[in-house]
Amino acid sequence: MLMVGAILFIAGAFFALGPGVAWDTLFINPLINSLLLLTNVFAGQFGVAIILFTVILRVATIPFTLRQLQSTRAMQEMQPRMQEIQKKYKDPKRRQEETLKLYRETGVNPLGCFMPMAIQMLVFFALYRALAFVVGGSPESLVGLSQRVYPWSYLTQSIPLEQSFLWLELGRPDKTYILPLMVGLSTYVQTRLSQTPASTPQQQQQQQMMTWMMPLVLVWITLALPSGVGVYWVISNVFSVFASYWVYGRRMSWRALLPMATATEPQRARPKPQTDVQPEAEGPAPAGPLEARSAHGKRRGKRKKRR
Amino acid sequence: MLAAAGCVQQNKPHGWAGPACSHPLTECAEAGVADEMIVASTEKGELSALDPADDFSAVWTFPTGKEKPEIKLEAIYGTPVIRGGNVYFGAYDSKVYALGLADGAPVWDDPFDTGGPIVAGFAASETTLYAASEDGNVYALDLETGEAVWDRPFDTGAEVWGAPLLAGDRLYVVSVNGKLFALNAASGEPEWDQPFETGHGLISDPVLADGTVLVGGIDRGLHAVDAESGEELWSFKTDNWFWGRPLVDDGTAYAPNLDGRLYALSLEDGGAAWEAPFEADEPLRSAPVLAGGVLVIVDKGGNVYGLDPADGSLKWSAAAALEKTVLADPVVLGGKVVVSAEGGDLFTVDPIAGSFAKLVTK
Repeated sequence: MLMVGAILFIAGAFFALGPGVAWDTLFINPLINSLLLLTNVFAGQFGVAIILFTVILRVATIPFTLRQLQSTRAMQEMQPRMQEIQKKYKDPKRRQEETLKLYRETGVNPLGCFMPMAIQMLVFFALYRALAFVVGGSPESLVGLSQRVYPWSYLTQSIPLEQSFLWLELGRPDKTYILPLMVGLSTYVQTRLSQTPASTPQQQQQQQMMTWMMPLVLVWITLALPSGVGVYWVISNVFSVFASYWVYGRRMSWRALLPMATATEPQRARPKPQTDVQPEAEGPAPAGPLEARSAHGKRRGKRKKRR
Repeated sequence: MLAAAGCVQQNKPHGWAGPACSHPLTECAEAGVADEMIVASTEKGELSALDPADDFSAVWTFPTGKEKPEIKLEAIYGTPVIRGGNVYFGAYDSKVYALGLADGAPVWDDPFDTGGPIVAGFAASETTLYAASEDGNVYALDLETGEAVWDRPFDTGAEVWGAPLLAGDRLYVVSVNGKLFALNAASGEPEWDQPFETGHGLISDPVLADGTVLVGGIDRGLHAVDAESGEELWSFKTDNWFWGRPLVDDGTAYAPNLDGRLYALSLEDGGAAWEAPFEADEPLRSAPVLAGGVLVIVDKGGNVYGLDPADGSLKWSAAAALEKTVLADPVVLGGKVVVSAEGGDLFTVDPIAGSFAKLVTK
């Protein structure tokens, strides 16, 4: 109910003020001023403020993050049955009916992770824009910042912000390559953990490409971006990894994060069917680290015994 | 996520160096356009000398691209200074350059490296150049050789974005830590027991008139300081930052503000000289100029306004006339106002008619 109210309020503001003004007023400017406030609270330590700000923002959106992860987990758990339906029914209409039936049986909403993801994306977009203004990197960006700071003198006390943090100049790209590599590594881990199981070989191929492309592209982008944005990425990715651990716990196979894990998965034994899956069915190779664990026949058997 | 990352690319410095004419700034207004060489940044990270007699074509451009090792200026913010047939300017690559005005050839053996990006303009006497940078230091350099004149640079404690102001044998310097220093121009030693302090963020070029130094900043205040003692005479608070250089004429200070207003204040007590400040459509970073009895101001959006300096009434305006972002300080040359826009386009504005012409466009 609260979420519906919020969505209606935002939609109304976009209609009344226009998209640009509403976007700035509701999202960008509050984020910018929060960041400045945190910087002042931490004695002008802008780097510390970015880290804390990222953590606060991720904690604030944790209900969405958890819901998304839970949806992903549910989708992963029903994956063997989905694959079986794909194999068993060649008629698209029948296949669709069976798929919907499966969703009903398991109580999984296929769009369950869409809304949390959309809200998070909205927040991320706003945060990137806010960081772009606050991190600075040029005198021009400060002229832009001046139009967004609330008229409270306390907020401006740390402007221009202290750019030095650890080995970084937050307004400039990291020429040591350390931060870009940290961004790449953390993005790789986070991408691997967030992948849903592939149901077709093509999908698996796409996922494998994403697993490598995303980190590489982000490394490349970070080389040209203010380091402050890179700091946000690293902290945000680390938070996502912890959130995944929180949801999946011991079910997570850290070894499956290794690049070789994906390549060897197709050689492994297929999972035993849960209900109506034909024993001889050869499903497509799983992709994610969670799927790799659950697809292992022996372990699955052990879990059943415990029950 | 990747699309969002693309939005952050806007932070690269572009520079807002205003144009300079081959006369000292104070004499530019009287000089005829056709007799002068204009030095301006018509391309990001480049400085060119333009010949008005030849349709403002570039006589030379620096860097040429053939230097070894390669020179990348990144951006130029401070208005170049012209002295004795040479042009001096600072770049965002942290270096001070000296070039021959006639051919653009380097005058010094090597540019002087300040250790921090240079945003502030310079001050110069007949023999010495005063430069400051984001490394927080103020340097005095020999105009001919580029060698340091003072025993050591003066450390302000924070970045310097406002151009040093030379008045006689005294140099006034502002710093973003909110301090205004008065230095002995010959030695670089402080002349006040304590600098004038506002707390934080003095960023505008200081201006001296009738024994009063005017300076503004991020603290949203315009401060009038006694030039001899460093005591505050008055201050004027607004809703946004004073970044543009104030103009003082006939006892009135015209101060542009990033809230988009041009304030006219009595230099004596800071009282309002107009019934209400003039309101532009966009923030005002560029300094106002007086030409032909008209107060000309250009806002960030490229809107140009001609005002009556007596009461601030609008004589003419040209909405989005320049269709470019304007953050640079204009210069008056031969009765015309020369404006430099972001990207390097140059315009002249006729202060009487309010008409404008493009000199250099991309």
